[in-house]
Amino acid sequence: MDCKFIPSICSYCGTGCGILFEVIDGQIVSTLPMKTHPVNAGKLCIKGWNLHEHVNSFLRLKQPLVKTFGRFIKTDWDEAIQLAADRFREIIEKYGPDAVGILVSAKITNEENYLAQKFARAVIGTNNVDHCARL
Amino acid sequence: MIEEIKQWLEEGIVDLFLGYKMVMGHPLPHCFVKERIEEVDDLIIGLSRYSLEKIATHIAAAQPDIKIGMLVRDCNQRALNVLYIWNQLNPDNVKTVNVNCCPSNLKEHGDCSYLEPETPGIYKQQVGLDNTLRPQDVEEYDQPQQLSRWMYEFQKCIKCYGCRNICPVCFCRECSLEHKELIGTGALPPEVPIFHLVRAVHMAGRCIDCGLCEDACPVDIPLRLLYRKVNEIVVNVFDYETGSSVNQSPFSILGDKVTLEPKPLYIKRAETTKSSIGPQEMN
Repeated sequence: MDCKFIPSICSYCGTGCGILFEVIDGQIVSTLPMKTHPVNAGKLCIKGWNLHEHVNSFLRLKQPLVKTFGRFIKTDWDEAIQLAADRFREIIEKYGPDAVGILVSAKITNEENYLAQKFARAVIGTNNVDHCARL
Repeated sequence: MIEEIKQWLEEGIVDLFLGYKMVMGHPLPHCFVKERIEEVDDLIIGLSRYSLEKIATHIAAAQPDIKIGMLVRDCNQRALNVLYIWNQLNPDNVKTVNVNCCPSNLKEHGDCSYLEPETPGIYKQQVGLDNTLRPQDVEEYDQPQQLSRWMYEFQKCIKCYGCRNICPVCFCRECSLEHKELIGTGALPPEVPIFHLVRAVHMAGRCIDCGLCEDACPVDIPLRLLYRKVNEIVVNVFDYETGSSVNQSPFSILGDKVTLEPKPLYIKRAETTKSSIGPQEMN
């Protein structure tokens, strides 16, 4: 019977509230706010309170899935990335680079955001870079 | 105290001990076990309060016969009394180390995060309610003012369920605040004031005035004040002071002849995990 309290940061919005995961026997049982965290001082919104369900949800993707003939088929990373690259190439050749848009996010690091906009501008050749919060 | 706890762990009087430890500069709850007994040297009492009793109920739900030791302040002790009465924890399996508590009329000094309650802002004092008021102070306002002040406070609610999630004596599997035929989930903003009044009524006879709900409320609704008023009514009408002892029962108001068959104490965890993330919940 092993009970641990793992401090972490909420993975939803860009605020970054402090979270404590209550882990009993290797399973996340519930989520608590971290009372002494400077960002949230022991308070959480409903998304933060239910992080433990998000982590263990049966709806989470475990493998890349490709939609073939209207159904999702499991595949592996190499095939999925190659397929995405081929489709991007087709679209850019047919409709031009401005047909593609890239959405960056507050939940990924600054370095990853830089990579995303560099990919949009240098590789695809478009200025259409926007943010997930605008959805 | 550290020596006593080490002795308890070594002799098997308790299988695990819930206390606090400094982790990366924050006092966090920690579970001390015999395998890592040297960690007990780092046990601190910690100014920040977490609901260790709620964690104990989760552990007991997974393994009903395990013996749990805990660091308790007065508020934790009252919560434990209520949990014993309602059959959520077995008093034979819980051993407590009582520590110093919040200052009150009976005690001058304390070791708690409630030592300095925050003074509210000017706008809140003008239009809403100061969290540190007593129920009789609120009753000094006239009726329309009381209503408008409470409505101001309740309308800030974002339905985060923080008050319910962190409450040490809230353990219902089917919570009225989530039941789709009563107050459902989703649907923001909540229907004021019924959301808070439903919770207040459910807290009658259960709330032990620990204040964790107010700590967890992101918009500072004076919940402690509301539940104190409800429990005042319970004391006046039923002569039942919540959490003061293990020997009273909320069912005793019906008289001595009423008996209720005890329900099974614990349901195995495998079933509960399935029911909380199962397909029937996704609607």
